Amino acid sequence: MAIREILEFPDPRLRTQARAVEEFDGQLANLVEDLFETMYQEQGIGLAATQVNEHVRVLVMDTSDERNRPMAFVNPEIIERDGTQVYEEGCLSVPGIYAKVERAEQVRVRARHPDGTAFETELDGLSAVCLQHEMDHLAGKLFVDYLSPLKRQMVRKRLEKARRQDNRVPSAT
Amino acid sequence: MKQPDARLVALNALQEVLDRQRSLAEVSAFERLTDARERAFARRLVYGVLRWRGALDWLADALLERPLRRKEKAVRRLLHLGLFQLWREDTADHAAVHATAEVARRLRKPWAVGLVNAVLRRFQRERDELLEGLARAPERYAHPDWLLDALRADWPDDWRVIADANNRQAPLWLRNNRLQGTREQGAERLRQAGFKVREHPLAPDALAIEPATAVEAIPGFDTGRFSVQDAAAQLAARLLAVEPGQRVLDACAAPGGKTGHLLEIAPGAEVVALDLSAQRLARVEENLARLRLEATLLTADAAEPDTWWDGRPFQRILLDAPCTATGVIRRHPEIRWLRDPDQVAQAVALQSRLLERLWPLLEAGGILVYATCSVLRRENNEQLQAFLEAYSDAVCTGPEGFGRSGPPGRQLLPGEQDMDGFYYALLHKRPA
Repeated sequence: MAIREILEFPDPRLRTQARAVEEFDGQLANLVEDLFETMYQEQGIGLAATQVNEHVRVLVMDTSDERNRPMAFVNPEIIERDGTQVYEEGCLSVPGIYAKVERAEQVRVRARHPDGTAFETELDGLSAVCLQHEMDHLAGKLFVDYLSPLKRQMVRKRLEKARRQDNRVPSAT
Repeated sequence: MKQPDARLVALNALQEVLDRQRSLAEVSAFERLTDARERAFARRLVYGVLRWRGALDWLADALLERPLRRKEKAVRRLLHLGLFQLWREDTADHAAVHATAEVARRLRKPWAVGLVNAVLRRFQRERDELLEGLARAPERYAHPDWLLDALRADWPDDWRVIADANNRQAPLWLRNNRLQGTREQGAERLRQAGFKVREHPLAPDALAIEPATAVEAIPGFDTGRFSVQDAAAQLAARLLAVEPGQRVLDACAAPGGKTGHLLEIAPGAEVVALDLSAQRLARVEENLARLRLEATLLTADAAEPDTWWDGRPFQRILLDAPCTATGVIRRHPEIRWLRDPDQVAQAVALQSRLLERLWPLLEAGGILVYATCSVLRRENNEQLQAFLEAYSDAVCTGPEGFGRSGPPGRQLLPGEQDMDGFYYALLHKRPA
């Protein structure tokens, strides 16, 4: 088990299309554990394998207030969508940026557990937003792609500037 | 996906208020927190930091080994947030220090993580001496210098009491809608919902409830049984003494609290409610709809009657004048940092123009109530003195029975009888 480094926008590796998982083995179980550990450490409510540079269709979520309802989805597919909602999203790969994105209010998902068993579930509200956000990652997409090109350019500049400052000033801790 | 961090949201809210001059009520950052407890926590932090900002800054300066560069506003505010938690909140100390310092990393300022940590830990070690030092410094009042000077000049015996009252949390006062039942019945309904309820001795419709809560959680709010309004603001409609059938002007009506109240007291009155801003007038409309009461609403400048007045005089005029709001700092702690002396002068000029322009609209024998939620004499008794000197047909007849004499008029200081700071003058127009 390990906390993994999270790729940050505009890292081109975030644009990789994830491939379907075929082997439901110990390696997959380890990846899922790492994803949970990294997500909880970073106070995320969802994390896709793409974000830790593993390009397989795996994502984890926990949208509960108590942070005690972990959910893992392997090879997820949305089979039904209903309604729309707008939520101000943030992303561990786009630190400090929040933007409103419109998504389906309700989704029906078909996926597999890390042990390979298939399941279907219905999500709504924040959980539905989160699942759609993470599934975008698996397709190489980021929530900033929904912004206007100008705004996206601003986000990119802001992050690049912040990164330059990090490198210039040594950490005091 | 990222869950917003309450302390980061609090920092963003401070930026909205202090850098973009937004009032706390308009801050959008809090909406990012979907969890109600987290949202309440972020709000508490922001209110607290805005309330104690001057004192927190004094503490930060005392604790920093080297001065922080001016452009590092975010880091300074992070120190304020951390110091507020350690000084005035029961957050577990260690958790507060760590979580606050980590916000610096999220701001992409990893160098500041160690700095915030060091400052906050030092506060924990040296807390007692620091707080003793603060207690001797003028910064303990946490007001900008110009405002403290103005309070001292206007209220040489009371300025300390005013400053302290501004730093205390105000109770949540409701107004019982007498058209839907007596105050006693209203109080009973609130008690059954689990609130501790207290009646105000001076404002006959006012009830304070504990614990304070969001309006949606007040039983009967939706159906107009209760409104949220400070007891001091509830004095306005009574002073106006509207009689059935009278034509009443509410000159600066938004958000409509007093408009609704005067209609609850005199449902047959013909009320014309004005506001300069259409957006704010929409709040009046919402409020009246909730109370199921009606008035004629006009988006108009009260100081330019030529543009909206039909020539029919009013028997009553309520001029709840735009002011510095220095009497309601206990509810809006940000006000002290958003105002400056120029704005005081602007408010004084606007008030005097409104008085002059509206006075001719009042019928002989009619009453005009002038109100502000300010504690500055220039906006209040000095403003009215000047008016009375210029207008021989104006007589100030009160009010009496609360606060202290202007003179003319009556001043309530914040916290007095648990009310906001308000000024009232009751003007009669002598028959020609």
